[in-house]
Amino acid sequence: MISKEAVRELEHALGAEFVSCEPAVMDGYAYQPTHAEILGLETKWCPYRPVAVVLPHTTEEVQAVVRICNAHKLQFKALSTGWGIWNAPGSDNVVQIDLRRMDKLTIDTKNMIAVMEPYVSGAQIQAEGMKSGLNVHMVGCGCHASPLASATSLMGPGCSGITTGYSPRNVLGVEWVLPDGEILRLGVPGQGNDEWFYGDGPGPSLRGIMRGTLGACGGLGVFTKCALKLFPWPGPAQPKVEGVLMDAKVEIPGTHSSFLCFLPNLSRFADAFYKISNAEIGYFMGKHAITGALLAGCMPRAYKNLVKSETVRSILTALQNTFVIILCGRTQREYDYQHKVLKQIIADCEGFMLNIGHVPLLHSMLWWGFIRNSLPPAIFRAGGRFTTAFGGFETIDQAVFQSKIGAVIKQELIDSGDMMDDLADNSWGGLYEGSSCLAHQEELAIFDPREPKQNEGVNKYIDKAMEASTKYTITPGIGFGGGGAVPHMLGPLIYNYHHWLLQIKETLDPGNSADPSFFIAPEAEKEKYLRDYARRRPQVARLVEDILAADKKRSDVP
Amino acid sequence: MALQDYTNDMFGCSRCSLCKWIPQNQVKSWRFAKGCPSMDRYHFHAYSGSGRMIMGMSMLDGRSELGDAVAEIIYKCQLCGACQVACMAVRDDIDLGDVLLEERARCVEEGFLLPEHMEFIESMKREDNTLGMRKADRGNWAKGLDIPDINLERVEVLFHAGCRYSYDEDLMETVRNAVALLKKGGVKAGIAGRDEACCGGRAYETGYQGEMKKYADDMAGRVKASGAAMLVTPCADCYYTFKYLYPKNGISLDVEVLHITELADRLIRAGTIKPKRAVPMKVTYHDPCHLGRRGEAYRGGWSGENKLDRPIRFKQSGEKGVFEPPRNIIRSIPGIEFVEMERIREWSYCCGAGGGVLEAFPEFAGWTARERMEEVASTGAEALVTACPWCVRVFQDTIRETGSSLKVIDVTELLMRSLGGK
Ligand SMILES: Cc1cc2nc3c(=O)[nH]c(=O)nc-3n(C[C@H](O)[C@H](O)[C@H](O)COP(=O)(O)OP(=O)(O)OC[C@H]3O[C@@H](n4cnc5c(N)ncnc54)[C@H](O)[C@@H]3O)c2cc1C
Repeated sequence: MISKEAVRELEHALGAEFVSCEPAVMDGYAYQPTHAEILGLETKWCPYRPVAVVLPHTTEEVQAVVRICNAHKLQFKALSTGWGIWNAPGSDNVVQIDLRRMDKLTIDTKNMIAVMEPYVSGAQIQAEGMKSGLNVHMVGCGCHASPLASATSLMGPGCSGITTGYSPRNVLGVEWVLPDGEILRLGVPGQGNDEWFYGDGPGPSLRGIMRGTLGACGGLGVFTKCALKLFPWPGPAQPKVEGVLMDAKVEIPGTHSSFLCFLPNLSRFADAFYKISNAEIGYFMGKHAITGALLAGCMPRAYKNLVKSETVRSILTALQNTFVIILCGRTQREYDYQHKVLKQIIADCEGFMLNIGHVPLLHSMLWWGFIRNSLPPAIFRAGGRFTTAFGGFETIDQAVFQSKIGAVIKQELIDSGDMMDDLADNSWGGLYEGSSCLAHQEELAIFDPREPKQNEGVNKYIDKAMEASTKYTITPGIGFGGGGAVPHMLGPLIYNYHHWLLQIKETLDPGNSADPSFFIAPEAEKEKYLRDYARRRPQVARLVEDILAADKKRSDVP
Repeated sequence: MALQDYTNDMFGCSRCSLCKWIPQNQVKSWRFAKGCPSMDRYHFHAYSGSGRMIMGMSMLDGRSELGDAVAEIIYKCQLCGACQVACMAVRDDIDLGDVLLEERARCVEEGFLLPEHMEFIESMKREDNTLGMRKADRGNWAKGLDIPDINLERVEVLFHAGCRYSYDEDLMETVRNAVALLKKGGVKAGIAGRDEACCGGRAYETGYQGEMKKYADDMAGRVKASGAAMLVTPCADCYYTFKYLYPKNGISLDVEVLHITELADRLIRAGTIKPKRAVPMKVTYHDPCHLGRRGEAYRGGWSGENKLDRPIRFKQSGEKGVFEPPRNIIRSIPGIEFVEMERIREWSYCCGAGGGVLEAFPEFAGWTARERMEEVASTGAEALVTACPWCVRVFQDTIRETGSSLKVIDVTELLMRSLGGK
């Protein structure tokens, strides 16, 4: 519930036009079906509807909203694009802060930096950056999401990571409205400098606290501005593109080409990743199971029929360990060098590769679809939704191992008729930070939420993935990392990381006004969160009881 | 069909928010990346294609009620179709545009009516036009043109002027030009004069779906009686109604339907008319929504259960709208420098007038037109060429209000200048 007084104050701070308590409007924020299954939630309506939705335009307005929430004992949760269950309000007193009206962007070409507000998309930054030979890192969900949200608040891998790093590393400075309404500036802005040209030292760099590995998902306040590092773009300033996605026709520079590389098994696949990482070639690279998501996205109907044929199936399975790599040379010589190295690596790993450049239309669609990062949402074509599991940042071998376990679990569920048949291994993930050999692999599963059986199957998949994660001590990834209860459960099994999260949360937000529901439940709410979670996922009930019993034992010790 | 028949479409929404942008492949700048006027003006998710579907689900699930506030949101949308194009780039199973139409029908069913809409519905009922004018005056625009009257003789082509062209005095020159153009091209066209009636499209779009039927039957009867094998209209709204709404509702006109730009383009390509006179001007072209993406002929007729299995050819993705003919005409005119905006073709930005917005929310219509005019200005063009009377109307009004020096020219008018007038 929100009091009339609080609404009046919000309206006074922002203007009545930018505050809504209309149920139908607020339901626009209580419908977060994507990846809701990860938390065992219904994939239609979230458990809670916000008590109000506000649209601030400036940092000062955000600050005002946060202070009003504090004064009225309301929680708040910010969102940028607002795609995914992590945006959902975690209790019945949350004011949702939709940052859509904060959409300014400046590009500092000389220092290769973009300074942006939350509602600036990856595509916008890329379009402007390319005009000066620069590109931005974008995450795998697509180019319409906010690089600020990714860099400050959630995950960060995307397939250009081999040259563009990954989001948490690229953030150079932020403007941050803390849970009590105080404004904190990190990076050079924290030194009282108006410019944003440098991240680490001499100013304070507290990125680890600010977001850690997974991000606080709004649980530590609101980021109103950030500076991101940009990277060289060795291509045209404004590619000439026709068509909207699958029908794309593009003029591709002669010194760029895309390759599908097929490896005989996962071990050779991992070898190829290591070698490419060490050789520092390639502009874009990712595992896109050609036999899974990519094919299903490009020809969903045909795909469903193809997998029914034993012969085609055996061919597709043989081609499952595939990745896409795009080589972009500034000069013909550079391109030739990269091409030669790639050929050698693939040969050394007993694989083979296809130069998609020889198939112009397909190349257009893939080249721009991947560089622009417009292609990923096409995965929704086959079923209407997909879920994901695993996907922690890891060494290449460990990342590949995660996809392997995922595929085994999925195969069982496909065999029992619980999941859509996508040949089980449908993992995606890339390499980050050039030669660091840092990788991630998520195991995706396409499903149709309108089919109850598939909904159940997907839930079973997540349950089993969770079991496997604890069994093998797998670093949390997006596939199960979130949810205020989850760190309390996984923490004791995985390096006790939850202790750190708790300290950060309770120090920065002692009043728990920033909705913690996708970060970590504060100690005082731990039991409530854990029991809630156990209700949705009965198979963890035992684990939850053990944790709570251990807590009790500790507190009983005089 | 009713809103509940689109339950699966609505629940298909992943809330990705692509519907707020132009298709991502086409984003060329920070400034002109967004695609939905309603979202750009009002910002809450409820104003987006996705938000509108969520509102639909919310009402059907009994979580919220249709009331004045919700109806206002439903009507603050030009039905421009940009959201559907962006959504369909990655989805095959969501007919977003149809959901928006059904929400309006529900508003009417439940009595949430806007007085401004009721006014033109009344006018339609009384005088067969949306503009509150007298039926008896409908044919006045053609005075002195010496064009056959289909009530008196059979013709090869029926020319349907549409409500706005028939009555809006500022635009009459354009429609008279269109007739002159037909004559120059040797097209044996006739008009219905005062017996022409509204196509009914606006009524359907504003939720009065049943109203359209009467006009559609009337139209079909008139076409048949005229003996014409072709129906030509200069109005983008009428064109959309004939190409999409009628067939979607099982109404067939049984003749080829062309927009005037399609016919003019044919005539130029056949060499029947030759634009010779130079028109030295830098221009850009604004794709009217109802001629462009929404002018795509109805592709439906699929009766399966699960839209995930629906063959692609039934997908109303907008790319088969009328885009090239007007551009071909412009390019054929000597002396013209033609520059494109960033948001064009099926990812064009709306002018602001459609879906009953011009009538009910003129401030919002003007706001949208201004946004589009900024894009025109960014090209350095001195004139905006378009092919829809509603677009011309809202742009002209906005120019008058803002004191802009931009000129708005209908493409037929431009062509006539090059052909040497009437
Ligand atoms: C289909 C799909 C695929 C995805 N794939 C990937 C992937 O490959 N890699 C990856 O890294 N992520 C992925 N994600 C997760 C996520 O969507 C992305 O990380 C994305 O960058 C978030 O951008 P957004 O604008 O959508 O953020 P939002 O959805 O708006 O927000 C994400 C989270 O951050 C919080 N938040 C947003 N903005 C702010 C702010 N200004 N201040 C404080 N908190 C804020 C929100 O509360 C929310 O919890 C995927 C998501 C989906 C739905």
